[in-house]
Amino acid sequence: MTSSVAAAAPSPAPALSPALSPKVVAPPPQKAADRKVVAAAADEVPNEMHVLAVDDSSVDRAVIAKILRSSKYRVTTVESATRALELLCLGLVPNVNMIITDYWMPGMTGYELLKRVKESSKLKEIPVVIMSSENVPNRISRCLEEGAEDFLLKPVRPSDVSRLCSRIR
Amino acid sequence: MAAALTSQLHALVNNMFATGLLDDQFQQLQMLQDFSAPDFVSEVVTLFCDDGERIIGELARELDKPNVDFDRVDSFAHQLKGSSASVGAQKVKNTCIQFREFCQQRSRDGCLKTLDLVRTEFYDLRNKFQAMLQLEQQIQACYPKH
Repeated sequence: MTSSVAAAAPSPAPALSPALSPKVVAPPPQKAADRKVVAAAADEVPNEMHVLAVDDSSVDRAVIAKILRSSKYRVTTVESATRALELLCLGLVPNVNMIITDYWMPGMTGYELLKRVKESSKLKEIPVVIMSSENVPNRISRCLEEGAEDFLLKPVRPSDVSRLCSRIR
Repeated sequence: MAAALTSQLHALVNNMFATGLLDDQFQQLQMLQDFSAPDFVSEVVTLFCDDGERIIGELARELDKPNVDFDRVDSFAHQLKGSSASVGAQKVKNTCIQFREFCQQRSRDGCLKTLDLVRTEFYDLRNKFQAMLQLEQQIQACYPKH
């Protein structure tokens, strides 16, 4: 990738990251927004870790997906626990190495999703991580008791995820 | 030309941090942007703006009803609080926290006043985000793509 911009770009002010300086982009950009689930992905790399991220918020889905992709995970995002279970049970998301889910969602909650996963002989080995914007000790311990791998407070940061993933790998 | 625009952009964003409109979470998002996702920040910001507009509409609708369902209002305020927090929209997030307190108190008046405040703050932020994205585009237009 050549960047004829590098010499010309002014150095950013301290509060600003290089992200807001001009960039020349060579490779095609990857969308931060949801990726549709494709049952048979032609470019699927068998050894790559695959995370299923569940959140009803489009903003949070975009953020968690980017954080995970920056850590070299393949990510599939869904907007509900029901949809997540559907995909898992129908085998439409093969080789999921981790599920990361919001706690509070309309319809089925992340906690209910956790329980269903742990009750399923097919799915119970998949580590499940719960995310929540609320720091409720009862909630956290209930999730951990139910078999959650970890509990992350939102907003989630890259450092939270890398700490997590180093344990799951 | 690019230098002047870049200074403008820096001044705008620095001001947003300095006035408490944005917090550290926004910096986290800026740092996540890279060559594989060069539009990440603008995409998340756009999602936030669309989502925020939708939720504010819902809040207004709910509070307009003769019998206000405060649990529903609270759930919308919670959603907006969540997406504000994720994008680093500190001021809007804090107002949402206030909002939820009025929901707990079942205070229609309190909720309405706070809705006004959140609406003003949200639109102010949205305008600044739009200015920021526009400046970025103008800067990028100064440099020919390969």
